[in-house]
Amino acid sequence: MAELQELTQVIIKGNRAEAKRLTQAAIDAQVPARQVLDALVAGMDEVGRRFQRNEVFVPEMLIASRAMKEAMALLEPMLVKAGIKPEYIAVIGAVQGDLHDIGKNLVAMMWRGANFQVVDLGTNVPAEKFIAAVKEHRAQVVGLSSLLTTTMPAMQATVKAIKDAGLGSLKVVVGGAPITQDFAKEIGADGFSPDAAGAVDLVRKLLAA
Amino acid sequence: MNVMNERQRFLATMHYLPRDRSPICDFGFWSETIDEWHNQGLPQRVIYKNYDGTSANEFFGMDEYSGGPGFNVGLCPGFEYKVIEDRGDHEVVQQGDGVRVLRKKHMSSIPMHEGHLLVDRQSWKEHYQWRLDPDDPRRYPQDWDQAKRIWRDNGRAKPATLWGGSLFGWLRDWMGMEAISYVVYDDPAWFEEMVTTVADCIVASLTRVLRTGGVFDGCSIWEDMCYNGGPLLSPAHFKQFLVPHYKRITGLLRSHGVDIIWVDCDGKIDDLLPLWLDAGVNCMFPIEIGTWGADPVKFRKQYGKQLLMMGGFDKHIMARSKEAIRAEVLRLAPLVEEGGFIGFADHRVPPDVPLENYMYYLHCVREVWGHGVNLKPIGQICPPQCAGHAVQR
Repeated sequence: MAELQELTQVIIKGNRAEAKRLTQAAIDAQVPARQVLDALVAGMDEVGRRFQRNEVFVPEMLIASRAMKEAMALLEPMLVKAGIKPEYIAVIGAVQGDLHDIGKNLVAMMWRGANFQVVDLGTNVPAEKFIAAVKEHRAQVVGLSSLLTTTMPAMQATVKAIKDAGLGSLKVVVGGAPITQDFAKEIGADGFSPDAAGAVDLVRKLLAA
Repeated sequence: MNVMNERQRFLATMHYLPRDRSPICDFGFWSETIDEWHNQGLPQRVIYKNYDGTSANEFFGMDEYSGGPGFNVGLCPGFEYKVIEDRGDHEVVQQGDGVRVLRKKHMSSIPMHEGHLLVDRQSWKEHYQWRLDPDDPRRYPQDWDQAKRIWRDNGRAKPATLWGGSLFGWLRDWMGMEAISYVVYDDPAWFEEMVTTVADCIVASLTRVLRTGGVFDGCSIWEDMCYNGGPLLSPAHFKQFLVPHYKRITGLLRSHGVDIIWVDCDGKIDDLLPLWLDAGVNCMFPIEIGTWGADPVKFRKQYGKQLLMMGGFDKHIMARSKEAIRAEVLRLAPLVEEGGFIGFADHRVPPDVPLENYMYYLHCVREVWGHGVNLKPIGQICPPQCAGHAVQR
């Protein structure tokens, strides 16, 4: 449908007013909620790809996420009615000792934009809080963020504590400015993403496997 | 080659002229690093924030690349600094820029923003705009005549530099990253108004100082507007909103003979670097290597001698091994020799760097970059394993 393609485009552009108008129009026209959701997610996926290609930057990602969020608020009742659930349930937070949230917030936004349910624990999160949240929400993935080299040991300790808790097939993914693939592997994380957009593909791959 | 003073050495290095040796400097240290090093033999009297006359930089025999009488091109008066809430080992404080932050007590780590006074046009007028009045006399040194004497002294031994403020970094801090990003799209006229107001204040304040007839050796600007993947503002917006004002500032500076103008920006600067150069900036600081693998050698190949650099030594190497430290010192040596580059840690030296390693790093740079000549003395370290690298003061 041309209108849904347009909806995808306005999400990419971060045009919140048009995103809401087109979403409401689709709802009014009784377009299946799944199709509307797919159009919105397609927009955020494209924003992620452009972000990874350095064609768009953090502000563009933020306005796209905002447009997505506002459109989703309109669509939410239709999704519930149609029995459409989030693709995955994720817990996210900055590890203990780390007070920085911009990177973590971007990942949370991109995950929400991919129709993940995200439980954001904020910053300075102790390992036991991650574990409790995973149990409470039956999360399939937990994301740990660290901005400073000084909090990388806390990330390592958190990964170990989560793994030791025996939470079944839960995947632990990590990221942050000083974090590398090698470090992620060294501390036993299941995955690493160098940026917020890549965190979506990472989870999809890990959980589809 | 005659012995040069710190100012002569700095200027010769940045102008690719012959010099007795390269300046030996550093970015600085986290307070946690100094605390750790106290347990490893650094005398207790050595502190990073120097209130008693003994600074870490002095102790480690560093040259200076900036200094001189200070003046304020930003918020004046600043907001009252106050502790708003005590949360045990953390506290919420209102900073001098009005931002409410959560921070760890007694540590120098980057705090988390918890609240901003600048949220809309009304709060801009109420809390910020009036603090950017360049005519406020509190901006300038109280002893104006003494400051003028230092600035005008063309025979002084140490560099006297200017502070050029920030065009985006301040606004980003005052509003928060998300909010300022929305403003760029939702109300670009207001964003432009704020940038212009800040730039007007910087230009007018700098003009007053430059008109003293001072001889200034450089100017530093701060932005920190890049992260590990690239800029926090798109290059298109940077070009549209910031470059014109950068050109005002750099044009003013150059018209008064200031031809070393650096921007302090952590993170991956690659996308903005050509725009900064186009805008009249000619030096980047601290060339953070990061997970994105920046490299001052690569930048020199890419941009040639038009790009001056300070920093560029991967601080994480200092935590690895002496072999790795020496290898990196040697790798950067040709760039140091060429000039236009003052090598030092690419950000504050972190606490996982053992003091022994840092002393070895200093030993290497003083030998290889400094040729062991005309060096300032280093203080005495206690443990025997460091003794080989310390020079008795």
